[in-house]
Amino acid sequence: MPGFSGGGIGGGVGGPASAPPRPFRPSRYVPVSAATLFLVGSTTLFFCFCPWLSEHVSSVVPIYVAVMFLFTLSNFCMATFMDPGIFPREEDEDKEDDFRAPLYKTVEVKGIQVRMKWCSTCRFYRPPRCSHCSVCDNCVEDFDHHCPWVNNCIGRRNYRYFFLFLLSLTTHIIDVFCFGLVYVLHHRHELDTPHSVVMAVMCVAGLFFVPVAGLTGFHIVLVARGRTTNEQVTGKFRGGVNPFTNGCLRNITYVLCRSQAPYLGRWHSPQELEIQPPFLRPSLTEAQLEAKVLDNGIQSSLLTDAPPTPSMFKYRPACNSPGRNHIIRGESLDSPSPTILQSSRHPSYRSEPSSLDGATVVGGGAGVRRGGGDRGEGPGGSGIPAGGVSGYSLTGRSYTSYPSSLVLSTGSHSSSIRSAHTAHNPLATLQSEGTTDTSYKSLANQTPRNGSLSYDSLLTPSESPEFESAAHELSPQKPHAPFHLTGVTLRGQSEMMSPGSPLQGYTSPFLSAQIAQQREGQLLQGSATFSSPHRAYLRAVSPTPPSSSGPPEAHPLIHRHRTPSTSSSSRSVMTNHTSSKPGVKKVTGVGGTTYEISV
Amino acid sequence: MAETHSLQELQTPPVSSKVFIQRDYTSGTICRFQTKFPSELENRVDKQQFEDTIQTLNNLYAEAEKLGGRSYLEGCLACLTAYTVFLCLETHYEKVLKKISRFIKDQNEKIYAPRGLLLTDPIERGLRVVEITIFEDRGVGSGR
Repeated sequence: MPGFSGGGIGGGVGGPASAPPRPFRPSRYVPVSAATLFLVGSTTLFFCFCPWLSEHVSSVVPIYVAVMFLFTLSNFCMATFMDPGIFPREEDEDKEDDFRAPLYKTVEVKGIQVRMKWCSTCRFYRPPRCSHCSVCDNCVEDFDHHCPWVNNCIGRRNYRYFFLFLLSLTTHIIDVFCFGLVYVLHHRHELDTPHSVVMAVMCVAGLFFVPVAGLTGFHIVLVARGRTTNEQVTGKFRGGVNPFTNGCLRNITYVLCRSQAPYLGRWHSPQELEIQPPFLRPSLTEAQLEAKVLDNGIQSSLLTDAPPTPSMFKYRPACNSPGRNHIIRGESLDSPSPTILQSSRHPSYRSEPSSLDGATVVGGGAGVRRGGGDRGEGPGGSGIPAGGVSGYSLTGRSYTSYPSSLVLSTGSHSSSIRSAHTAHNPLATLQSEGTTDTSYKSLANQTPRNGSLSYDSLLTPSESPEFESAAHELSPQKPHAPFHLTGVTLRGQSEMMSPGSPLQGYTSPFLSAQIAQQREGQLLQGSATFSSPHRAYLRAVSPTPPSSSGPPEAHPLIHRHRTPSTSSSSRSVMTNHTSSKPGVKKVTGVGGTTYEISV
Repeated sequence: MAETHSLQELQTPPVSSKVFIQRDYTSGTICRFQTKFPSELENRVDKQQFEDTIQTLNNLYAEAEKLGGRSYLEGCLACLTAYTVFLCLETHYEKVLKKISRFIKDQNEKIYAPRGLLLTDPIERGLRVVEITIFEDRGVGSGR
């Protein structure tokens, strides 16, 4: 019975499609062949002297031994041929990504921190209790061990069969030995050739009894404690708590009575669904509208739910479809329609109108949103432009009035800058898969827009180098920041970074060119506070800012207000940035994981 | 304008990005997905709808892994028939997986495809993630 490891009974044929072909190694089949030989051979020989036993002891004996043997053999076959729960390799990801994935990701399992390791072969973070088998070269779910006697990994799908095989084999060995003993004791005076067979069988049985019974006992203890062999041998829970146990009885029930786990390497079903634009968009609820209009500043509740900067980067008019942006980001303030998407909360934007007169609230809000760096944001109505312009100047002023609100999430500013600058489209795709760390992501989500970021960098000169370095260090970086950036983000970003490009953050496609230019003029000269954030952001992005007049002007103006909060903001920034050696930055994630980013 | 776009409209729109809903391991290794609403979908689909979808998925997986009389009987039957029953009958888990497939297809048709999103059955990713593909909303641009 040659090993057929990886085959799935009741599942797919062969191993997962993505596993590479392995070289044929005959030495792997020696233990399993030996085990099969001993099992089948010994039992066959046993049946030779069974007739005597059926006559002199009981007729049930051969039936019982036969049933026991069949049970042992079937479990042996299942343990050998059943797919142990191999995770199919993740094919979708960018190859470069491997080198940038942080090695560990922490998750909390029943209150206990468990580390998930990045598997470079299989290209994903190993789920808890999963391990990569070096013999089979696969990641196996609930990995127990690789058993050479069945030439297969023992994992989630076939652990039950392996355990039952051990139990039944121990019982079978005991039966064979005992009945053989009975036979020998009755024939002690006639120990010639036929009976020597019995002696041989008994010897084999006795020889295998010790290790098999020992292994059976070991696994009974493991099952009762809810551990795998891998966990026991590596001492994972030595002196600690096992988060995967549910009590002795439940553990045993789980092993023996759980439904057969599914085969994971199935074929991908073809996608027959037709997806054609235009797409529906959710409309803003009344509460959201109200919040947008009346919100005074960066509310903490809104911060936690706020959409992140990255998704807004997608909708810059600078990239492929300008028209798309303003419709997507269009003001549904006037008339929310399903086709007009309005992203709900952008705290920095909301901060603007609150201080201003009610009349320009909407426009101000719109203006601010635009100013904040969401390029595509445009007023839904036609009556906005004038109000928007006035809103701009007003909102520009409001920046100075609310420095603290913008400083609020400086820690997340840095992360948002990171998100703003992450450059790789394919990386972003992969990375989302690989590195999504919920706590980290929520941190990113709190980030307000570029406007506030650049404003912060402006306010404190000491901060901006950090932003810059953060920007630089993070632009080549990869997924480890789970900021879900898209290719559109990248394109929009590169547009933003070119010094020659117009300040698109403040240009709404709805506005006429004149007004846009007018606004640009304002930004470049007049409202320093408003323009400089953008330019400072550009400065943070690239070493050569498009204009140098803005920031110096703004500095003294803003610096006054910002000084008290500077230290806190820089502190919060510092927690995220610790440089230990040149060219490598150490960033501490929320889960306590430390990532090293090469600059 | 309509003519120039007609060719494009016939093809599937390009993929804008992918969001991965990770597994929720807080209750152990049972199959559960995080119900936290990802930010990328903020302006594409209702939060409540999304959470309902994921919650239903979680409930279905809980049903699949349930330790009940059914799974126990299945195990006993399998033992008695030397596991040959697996060649004839579908296991409970497989039945629920088919149900999940149908549910996802249904959700895609009704809710996600009209919004330019596509849910991928987690079984195709080894039950590790729910992959949501976000398609680029090109057609809106032609409205200008």
